Amino acid sequence: MTTVLKLTNLSKIFPVGKRLFGPPKALVRAVQPLSLSVEEGETLGIVGESGCGKSTLARMLVGLLPPSSGTIEINGEPLDNADPTLFGRKIQYVFQDPISSLNPRKTIRQIMEAPLRHLHNMSAADRGRRIAEIFAAVNLREEFLDRYPHEFSGGQAQRIGIARTLAADARILILDEPVSALDVSVQAQVLNLLANLKDEFGLTYLFISHDLAVVETVSDRVAVLYFGSVVEVGPADEVFSHPKHPYTKLLADSAPVVGRPLKAPEGRATELPNPLNPPDGCAFRVRCAYASDQCGREAPRLEKQSDGVWTACYHPLSGSK
Amino acid sequence: MAGYILKRLISALPVLFGISIIVFVIMAMIPGDPATAILGSYATPENVEKLKRDLGLDKPMMQRYFIWLGNMLQGDFGRSFSLNRSVLDEVLDRFGATLILAGTSFVLCSILGIAAGVVSAARQYGLADRAITFAVLLGISIPSFFLGMMMILIFAVKLRWFPVSGMWPIYGARDLYALISHLTLPALSLAVVATGVIARLSRSAMLEVLRQDFIRTARAKGVHERSVIWRHALRAAMVSIIPVLGVQAGFVLSGAVYIEMVFQWPGVGRMLVDAILKRDILLVQGGVVFVAACYVIFNITVDVAQSLLDPRIKT
Amino acid sequence: MMAFPKLLARNRLALGGLIVMGLVVVLALITPLLPLADPDVTNTANRFKRPFSEGALLGTDHLGRDLLSRLLWGTRLSLAVGFTAAIAAATLGAAIGIIAGYYGGRIDNIIMRGVDMLMAFPYILLALAIVAALGPGLMNALIAVAAVNIPFFARNIRGITVGIAHKEFIDAARLSGMTDARIILTEVLPNVVPVIVIAISTTIGWMILETAGLSFLGLGSQPPQADLGSMLGEARSALITNPHTSVVPGAMILIIVMAINLLGDGVRDALDPRLKSGALSRPMPTTMVKRTMPVPEAKAETLLALRGLKTQFQVKDRVYKAVGGVDLQVNPGECLGLIGESGSGKSVAALSIMGLVASPPGVITGGAVYYRGEDLIDAPYEKLRSLRGNRIAYIFQDPLATLHPLYTVGDQLIEAVRAHHPFNKTEARAHAIDLLKSVRIPNAEQRVDSYPHEMSGGMRQRVGIAMALANDPEIIIADEPTTALDVTVQAQILSLLDDLRRERGLAIIFITHDFGVVAQVCDRVAVMYAGRIVEEGPTRTILNAPAHPYTARLMACVPELGQGRRELAAIQGLPPVVDKMPKGCAFAERCNKASDACRQANIELVRHGANSLVRCISPETSALEASE
Ligand SMILES: Nc1ncnc2c1ncn2[C@@H]1O[C@H](COP(=O)(O)OP(=O)(O)OP(=O)(O)O)[C@@H](O)[C@H]1O
Ligand code: SF4
Ligand code: SF4
Ligand SMILES: [Mg+2]
Repeated sequence: MTTVLKLTNLSKIFPVGKRLFGPPKALVRAVQPLSLSVEEGETLGIVGESGCGKSTLARMLVGLLPPSSGTIEINGEPLDNADPTLFGRKIQYVFQDPISSLNPRKTIRQIMEAPLRHLHNMSAADRGRRIAEIFAAVNLREEFLDRYPHEFSGGQAQRIGIARTLAADARILILDEPVSALDVSVQAQVLNLLANLKDEFGLTYLFISHDLAVVETVSDRVAVLYFGSVVEVGPADEVFSHPKHPYTKLLADSAPVVGRPLKAPEGRATELPNPLNPPDGCAFRVRCAYASDQCGREAPRLEKQSDGVWTACYHPLSGSK
Repeated sequence: MAGYILKRLISALPVLFGISIIVFVIMAMIPGDPATAILGSYATPENVEKLKRDLGLDKPMMQRYFIWLGNMLQGDFGRSFSLNRSVLDEVLDRFGATLILAGTSFVLCSILGIAAGVVSAARQYGLADRAITFAVLLGISIPSFFLGMMMILIFAVKLRWFPVSGMWPIYGARDLYALISHLTLPALSLAVVATGVIARLSRSAMLEVLRQDFIRTARAKGVHERSVIWRHALRAAMVSIIPVLGVQAGFVLSGAVYIEMVFQWPGVGRMLVDAILKRDILLVQGGVVFVAACYVIFNITVDVAQSLLDPRIKT
Repeated sequence: MMAFPKLLARNRLALGGLIVMGLVVVLALITPLLPLADPDVTNTANRFKRPFSEGALLGTDHLGRDLLSRLLWGTRLSLAVGFTAAIAAATLGAAIGIIAGYYGGRIDNIIMRGVDMLMAFPYILLALAIVAALGPGLMNALIAVAAVNIPFFARNIRGITVGIAHKEFIDAARLSGMTDARIILTEVLPNVVPVIVIAISTTIGWMILETAGLSFLGLGSQPPQADLGSMLGEARSALITNPHTSVVPGAMILIIVMAINLLGDGVRDALDPRLKSGALSRPMPTTMVKRTMPVPEAKAETLLALRGLKTQFQVKDRVYKAVGGVDLQVNPGECLGLIGESGSGKSVAALSIMGLVASPPGVITGGAVYYRGEDLIDAPYEKLRSLRGNRIAYIFQDPLATLHPLYTVGDQLIEAVRAHHPFNKTEARAHAIDLLKSVRIPNAEQRVDSYPHEMSGGMRQRVGIAMALANDPEIIIADEPTTALDVTVQAQILSLLDDLRRERGLAIIFITHDFGVVAQVCDRVAVMYAGRIVEEGPTRTILNAPAHPYTARLMACVPELGQGRRELAAIQGLPPVVDKMPKGCAFAERCNKASDACRQANIELVRHGANSLVRCISPETSALEASE
């Protein structure tokens, strides 16, 4: 196994209330310095709730957002301030909203040709052949090529979006909530398609979602994000069946599951911390039942637990469920 | 709130500064030089040179600008050669008349426009809506100066209900009654276009708001339809109507120039046109800067009104 | 795009505008070819001839010049100047706006400050200043009018561009290797062009008025050459004695500008996608009702019962049968789940109950809704209003969009109470605080004065619930109340709702697409597919042994936590579009048990086992299994 994607201390800080001159009014640390690596051929799932920095992280990985600090290495080559064209050949992005990721005024053919032409300088004949291959792989009929995006349902549009990323011929795909806009029956179709494509083309996935169950069905490893930091990372089955971090446990207990009685996992009416004014120490402290004084002093770092799981917590939960 | 007003006032300073630069730069584009314009083309070169020195025209641009700005800040807008009078005095005299005309029109068009827009939206596709839409179309298509002329023909000449022109009777008392009778026709002519524009925008703002989810919530609560329209919808629509009012005030002020010409109203607009035709640059410069500055202040008032209405604007 | 001329032609007013405008333009174009008198030759002997007089169809002006000739030549000039000014302003303004909007950041900031500065002038002052500097003249007036309109275009186009630049397809283009210049030209511009066209067509009339205005003031075209504005300006001194010299050019301006405005509105309507779908119409206070079939009887005494409810949307020439005959009932204290995929008609069915479906385009075309034996469909407005929020209350999905942004949550709660009870303000406020406490909002006394945007999603949804509880209703209809929330918050809200319902004996219709949620809060569940109920029964029965193939296969698609990595079962194909419903079973296309019988005739919802109903001729379970 080789590491294809390696992030070191990657972070992003957004200024808010920008002024023409002088410093901005405040800073939001959307992604705290974090390090992760992805092995060739694996699927790394990233879960977290809204606003925890999932999309910011994803957009940095494909060069759509410049990181505030840290480095991105793809196959050992540093890529951190390169332009999207360079990124585009190595790493691609599947968007959450399938319809708005297709230009309403272009035909599907024009959309499919763009990466072939601009990233790979292919001739017209080669482009036609390649598009036909890809469309066959994602189960789309070639007659769709001359239609416009608004004629497609969400599931079909998402297939087209996936086809476009395949056209770029990148080995790494960042999938940012690729199925959250879809209905369950269509979601299953797309998830299965993604699994097949991965085997067929030897792809590596970074699969981002807020839905634990979806992440579990596709991932080899998962990283749990809270407030811009990785709080737990490890093999998927291990993380979900024996969560070590109190936040992971809360997430797992909150998802409604058939056959599990309803209970409020958090007794009080807690509110999420304010990103402009994050709490000191562990960001989860105000919601955590295990918090101690130590947790308020300094943010915990990721530490290796016994079984390949890394957790950022001073009082990790014991293995049992 | 006081803090917000102060903040807005401070942020107006660069705008005022910018306005003065724009005016100065435009005036500096004038081909030939003002000295020749003042003295006429028969002046001797010596006289021109002397006048240039007197006016400070021999100095570099930057220096001239700051001298001009410094003088203005001290209330010295220069002297109008065509009227042989202080520019500021003349502008102040004239501005009062414009303010009466434009202010009346503005109040008229805001009230009528918003009311027409709301009624039109509430009765979409109904008779009232069609009638209002047609009237609005007519209103925004007719040149205000032509409308003014037709008003004179009909209401002043034919029906003799109102005086033909001017602000005061030539003989007789300068009382409120006299003012109103002189004001009615010009104020109406001026208000028509802006009323049309405001009515149109209010209608579409209302239609936009009426489709929002919170309107459905209000109805689901059992709130009476009257209150859904006039309380929930109008209030939300005002957020997009108020900025339009700000822009329309500028249009009313602009339209006043034509109306003042048609009705011989002794306002700043007529003064400016006369000054341009006589190439009295200092008068144009002073008049433009003064009116623009007043408009900036007015727009701050609009912003403050907006912030009172919308809690999402940070004060 | 092809449909554009057709759309324009459909709009009769715009067509009228187009015809008038076409005539005027043709006249202006052929003016030099017409046998007209020279417009500039003066003949003082013939001054002020009346219209229709010998040799001068429209009469003559104060210098004895032929008015008809001057009018046509003037029109030609006015049109040319107006169009040129509009095109120039639009091109420059759009270029500035697109660059500012696309690049954003500092470039945007600096450009827009400049634009704001220009817009800080009442526009005519700027035009006057420019004319003052350049000197009176038609060309200079054109420059002035174009220049003062650039900021309007720039600002308008920038706003649109910012929206487009943040769309995902722009990111996708970037990742496809396109350069900024190419993205602007091939991705942004085609999406902005309709807006530019709309902006031009709605402002061109205005620009013609403005240039005419400057000429009227004597600052535009200079004698002897005349455009319509200067004709009017020259005629002003003879207004009272010879009004026809004013009326002729004035009426011409009015006709031109009105035709352009009509046409402009038509263009806007044709290009604006929202207008095309009729989405800009105002929803009426209650849904329109057009029942053609006999109204079904109320069956047994129930709290709320839907009988054969049909609701459709009429958009242009298509009819979407969103709800195609739904039967449901809720008993006091019961929680009924309504589950189905997106577009299956859950929301429309729920909103139809209190006549809250947006109409137009919604119409209730059949069935009945019985509340304690009384039909609510076709009930007079005042009757419905008195029940809305009082006996039957709603909780909606997105708590930010469903609360009024400009009123405090307290005011909105107070209003909910006072719509039905004559409380005075202080009583109502105290009640509002109690309500906030009952949904466990901390610091209710302070929070009552907060605005919705100051609260988190979970807190806002609590306010939504408090509002539904305001008048102690018997029934709450909750339309996906937790879908927009994070899982941890969803868990809190669900348990809150569950507690409240048990405390107060509320009946709830709970709409969701999540089987986990149904399992946790509902007593009974109905599954919807393509506008109809396909299965109904006790939650346990349906979740353990679904009888309808759709339910069974849908449940198999749902990934569940704790089952590890695996392939999911999927249902091939898509639900039918509700404007083209197949004959027999709507699911037949996707069903692996489908037979000819399924496609032939309507399949009825029939009793299946002790407490369930199913709409299928070969259910997955036997009636006996279903009874367990
Ligand atoms: N205003 C409208 N105009 C036209 N069609 C509409 C309108 N509102 C809803 N529809 C159509 O009615 C059908 C049912 O919609 P409905 O909103 O009830 O579905 P739903 O089950 O609530 O879906 P979701 O899970 O997405 O909320 C859909 O086909 C939809 O396109
Ligand atoms: S570090 Fe402390 S507060 Fe943070 S999750 Fe662990 S126990 Fe809880
Ligand atoms: S009726 Fe026929 S097609 Fe429809 S669900 Fe049942 S078996 Fe399938
Ligand atoms: Mg819905």
